[in-house]
Amino acid sequence: MEFYSKPGEYDAINYVPHTESHGTKELWKTFWLLLGITILDFVIYFVMGPSAVRNVIFIFFGLVKAYYIVGAFMHMKSEKVNLALSIIVPVVFVLGLIWVMLYEGGAISKSHTTHSAETHTEVHK
Amino acid sequence: MSNHSEAAFEKQPMWAGGRSPFNVSYGKLMMWIFLLSDAFTFSSLLIQYGAQRFSNVQTAVTTKWPDPASIFNHFPFMHGFHLPLLFVSVMTFILILSSVTMVLAVEAGHRNSKKEVQRYMFYTIIGGVAFLSCQAWEWATFIHEGARLDGNFFGITKEGYDHLHSVHFGSHFEWDKAVDRTNGPVPFAALFFIVTGFHGFHVFSGVVINVVMYIMTARGSFERRGHYEMIEKAGLYWHFVDLVWVFVFTFFYLI
Repeated sequence: MEFYSKPGEYDAINYVPHTESHGTKELWKTFWLLLGITILDFVIYFVMGPSAVRNVIFIFFGLVKAYYIVGAFMHMKSEKVNLALSIIVPVVFVLGLIWVMLYEGGAISKSHTTHSAETHTEVHK
Repeated sequence: MSNHSEAAFEKQPMWAGGRSPFNVSYGKLMMWIFLLSDAFTFSSLLIQYGAQRFSNVQTAVTTKWPDPASIFNHFPFMHGFHLPLLFVSVMTFILILSSVTMVLAVEAGHRNSKKEVQRYMFYTIIGGVAFLSCQAWEWATFIHEGARLDGNFFGITKEGYDHLHSVHFGSHFEWDKAVDRTNGPVPFAALFFIVTGFHGFHVFSGVVINVVMYIMTARGSFERRGHYEMIEKAGLYWHFVDLVWVFVFTFFYLI
């Protein structure tokens, strides 16, 4: 990490920390991992029939891929924890929206199904 | 800068000013914050897809949520074959590969190797253009099959088909022309166009940014500046595009 001996030396706009290459080994490892998971996605899609378990597997694989893209490709692993948390923690709000919207969607479906069962002759209007 | 003053500086509180608490440049921090906001935008779109899918009602005649495997099952030059998921996997592969070349350009930038940065940026641009071409083909096929922003006949059930056949069209029923395009859930096609379109637009702007970076590298702008930080920032954006694709791929094609 670079430090400026005097606060006056620090230029907030033009400050660029010194970065060093960590080699390409980890990057290629990440590439093979992402490729492997994608191929696994492909295989599971044909081996397993559509089911909730399969959906959970796909979402889990998606999150694993996201972890490696953000961590290795976007160098989030080597950023300061301060920064990593500032960017990752707000994403928690998305979970709230997922819960609310899917619940809402399910409720609409439910009420509409009940309604059209009573008046199913009108479905084709 | 002596070791002594460095140690003295280290003792100062992190947020007391005089240095970046995150130890990143201003531009990179702003790029991260932009990407966070962009992540919210894409989340909203994908959650809307989920909400529409959950709210979908399956009656006796219509609106089964379409199975992606029965729609996106085409592959260029393989007309008439049922090949679900194959083409989109190729697209995913292209995007992952261009992500790797991008991160290799960033790594070359850390070593101030102008020649390598230029070469990897070129590969990344090729990858981006290839992905966009694939998406154009995908869209063209989907539109050719009858999908529109305001309509979608995918998802009609067998009963619905027979019903339309007997009641509305008699014996002159022609699948292509006669089916009311609102018989499938309309948001299926609309959300496909909006989400993949929005993502494709990001890929497009990413390619434009990468071309600008390529030209700046070739002209030696970063060499004169002494660092290749701009490549890192462009890289963040490009990887984000790949990140979004992971979820588009999961929710539109796999699930």
